[in-house]
Amino acid sequence: MTGLFDLRMLGGIAACIAIAACGGGNEEDKGTSDTGEASSMLTNPYPSTYEPYPSQPTLITGATIYTGTGAKIENGSIFMRDGRIEAVGPAGEIDAPKGDIVTIDGSGMFVTPGIIDNHSHLGVYPSPGFSSTSDGNEATSPNTANVWAEHSVWPQDPGFTRALAGGITSLQILPGSANLFGGRAVTLKNVPARTVQEMKFPDAPYGMKMACGENPKRVYSSSGPATRMGNMAGYRAAWIDAQAYKKKWDDYLDDPEGKDAPERNLKNETLAGALAGDILVNMHCYRADEMAQILDLSKEFGYEVTAFHHAIEGYKLADKLAENDICASVWADWWGFKLEAYDAVPENAALIHAQPGGCTIIHSDSEMGIQRLNQETAKAMADGNNLGLNIAPEEAITWITANPARAMGILEDTGTLEAGKMADVVLWDGDPFSVYTKTDKVFIDGALLFDRRDPEISPRTDFEIGQLDNTTTGGAGQ
Amino acid sequence: MSMLADMKKLFAATASVLCVAAVMTGVAKAEPIAIINAEIHLAGPAENPRTIRSGSIIINDGRIVAVGANVTPPGDEFRIIDAGGMPVTPGLFAPVSALGIEEIGGNDEGNDRRADSDFPLSASLNAEDALNTSSSIIPINAAGGVTRAYTTPDPGGKLFGGCGMVIDLSGSIDPVTRSCVAQMVAMGQAGANRAGDTKAGAIALLRYYLNEAKRYSQAPEDYRYMTNVSELTIPDLEALVPYVNGEKPLLVEVESAPDIRRLIEMQREFGLDLVLLSAREAWMVAEELALADIPVIINPLDNLPARFEAMGATLSNAARLQEKGVRVAFFDSDIGYTHNLRAMTQLAGNAVAYGMSREDALAAITLNPAIIWGLEAELGTIQAGKTADIVIWDGDPLELTSRPTTVIIAGEEVDRTTRQSLLARRYLDLSRKDLPVAYQGE
Repeated sequence: MTGLFDLRMLGGIAACIAIAACGGGNEEDKGTSDTGEASSMLTNPYPSTYEPYPSQPTLITGATIYTGTGAKIENGSIFMRDGRIEAVGPAGEIDAPKGDIVTIDGSGMFVTPGIIDNHSHLGVYPSPGFSSTSDGNEATSPNTANVWAEHSVWPQDPGFTRALAGGITSLQILPGSANLFGGRAVTLKNVPARTVQEMKFPDAPYGMKMACGENPKRVYSSSGPATRMGNMAGYRAAWIDAQAYKKKWDDYLDDPEGKDAPERNLKNETLAGALAGDILVNMHCYRADEMAQILDLSKEFGYEVTAFHHAIEGYKLADKLAENDICASVWADWWGFKLEAYDAVPENAALIHAQPGGCTIIHSDSEMGIQRLNQETAKAMADGNNLGLNIAPEEAITWITANPARAMGILEDTGTLEAGKMADVVLWDGDPFSVYTKTDKVFIDGALLFDRRDPEISPRTDFEIGQLDNTTTGGAGQ
Repeated sequence: MSMLADMKKLFAATASVLCVAAVMTGVAKAEPIAIINAEIHLAGPAENPRTIRSGSIIINDGRIVAVGANVTPPGDEFRIIDAGGMPVTPGLFAPVSALGIEEIGGNDEGNDRRADSDFPLSASLNAEDALNTSSSIIPINAAGGVTRAYTTPDPGGKLFGGCGMVIDLSGSIDPVTRSCVAQMVAMGQAGANRAGDTKAGAIALLRYYLNEAKRYSQAPEDYRYMTNVSELTIPDLEALVPYVNGEKPLLVEVESAPDIRRLIEMQREFGLDLVLLSAREAWMVAEELALADIPVIINPLDNLPARFEAMGATLSNAARLQEKGVRVAFFDSDIGYTHNLRAMTQLAGNAVAYGMSREDALAAITLNPAIIWGLEAELGTIQAGKTADIVIWDGDPLELTSRPTTVIIAGEEVDRTTRQSLLARRYLDLSRKDLPVAYQGE
């Protein structure tokens, strides 16, 4: 995977394929262009400095493994080395590697991929909740595609440590939903760090947050948009601008010789990236009728919606979501906190999943919920099964592993337990879909970063250290 | 102290008479039911046997008439429900909520939960006056096993929110089990926000109002020509009178250990009857709370330093309080406050994961709320003589994948069909039919 704002992509073949595939664009194939001197826009100015922490070769044996690919292995083993998964399979088929390795008896325990949340505001709405650190919504204009969530993330948010204790290994931090265009999202490895750059998931594509419905029209009721039709007009005006901007840059990059580079515009850079398919569009949308409007909008301007977030009424439009290859990132059972959340049903996740090609994600949008996405998944699975949908746990686990990884563009690296992938792994002390089960160990790139049995392997943020003894509360708020 | 104890006793006696009268209404026509072959979780106090491995429950006229391993239905008129060996518990009792006074949290048009900050009245507001007995939230949570809820306004711009009530979730047009039970008060940072942005202001204001209410009760004529005492109107002051000497409980939102200690001091000073809400640092003063006989309603999942007053938030709050003998009940200030009361079992299950016994955790969502609101003579356990609020589950009641198969409120089985279940069925098959989906469903 390449850096996300590589201009060769923006101006080149990949972008045009994305547009052609959507059928609505009027751009022409410009061919691959030279990056030339258009360097300012080409660069990745806030690059990831994440480096995996040292790990020991580790073999977990005799556990029940949900691979995240839809499979279940009873009495399975997994071997991790140098930060990667080296082998996964029935215990009898994994040879105990020779040499100095850590062996964990996993009998009675479960192993899953690291849990992934594609909708979190950790760091941008941190604990403690002060107005001085309330950095998630740049609610000053309906279009703030120019802001980047990573520039708000406070890495010392204690919420990251609680999420780690809940098995979260990767997460997408989104701006809030006050605006039509909220800004760029960032994907992080859930590793305690001094800087957000040290947390950034290497080579993960950027996301962009957009919002439908009640929130933007409420926030901008006096200046507009004040209605849902105003919301739509706002998106369309912005995409028209972005298309023109993108064409200007495409033309320039196609033949930069002797020309001045067009002026940069941060909003349009992000929007153009979304048009090119380099930036994944995350659309906060509750109602089925509004999701249908957004599908048409995306076709009008030739971009793809990667995931609808919240999608309270996803079950009413589950066929269309699946046909368009769009994931729905939902809560298990939240409802009624807004009128547009009134038609929620606890079977939503399962009904979306049940469509051929359906892609369900269970998200948190909460510093509490992110600690127990396994529990939320269990509830949603049970409600689907009570409706006769017959969903196995090994399928449901994909809602918080492979599917969010897919929607964040990192499925090649993580989200399933397959040889060669990052060793982002959770060892549970029982069935992860039981309320009594807790994480036992959490590995990120093979490094043991949370161990419930060892208070030393439990992160303490700068904010909390020395205030209340973490051995009193048991480490990571436990 | 002795005066307080006497007052409490007096109140308890009066209250139980009132509550019997209230609970009796509307259950006379209930059909006789016998639940057989049940694993019965009685939810009684720890000193008694708390589980019957296989037994029966006989229900008549809305009440439990017999329960035990060797009990049989006394006649043919009893409808038999075979629990198939599955767990049976008392109905879940939400210790605090806005059920029936809030339909849509985020929209004023659908929400009577709290008055605007500039509205003049506060303590004199009564939740019953805003109760929407047709709220869709009631049957949705009844289907999830919730049979009773304490429902209360919370403070708007003033320290006090008004008084709350206990209701049943049967869908009755007359669901009030007991009205005007307690008064919600904001203390800690929530109080500070309403009292000059300082906790000192909140304590000073509370003490001032309590003293004024006491004076008012002794000499109301002194207040004849007044409209206000500070921010309280005279009707608000009058409404506070039963709380000043512990005749009725104050439900106090508070978090930190030092703030809780200040309240314990005020309990002694005035003879207050206190119930604490949220109380994330309650475990740090557990022994003092136990001594003062102050129950706490907590979210056992709170483990973040959300504010400086909650630095001690921990997942072991519930277990530590229980261990020291503090009465604990569970709530969730977020989506579980009203719309998802059905997820109380998840709160209890997690409390078990972090050290509570299963039976104590079950009591925290059944018996303890009944005790906190003075209704334990009628509700909260499966015992002969009590009102029959009973749930049969398809698995471990605290498990994420378990759901009720039968819900009985005051002896009558609840229809578990809800607008949510109808919506899910309506959209189960999305293929185009001869008529739009609006023609499908009941």
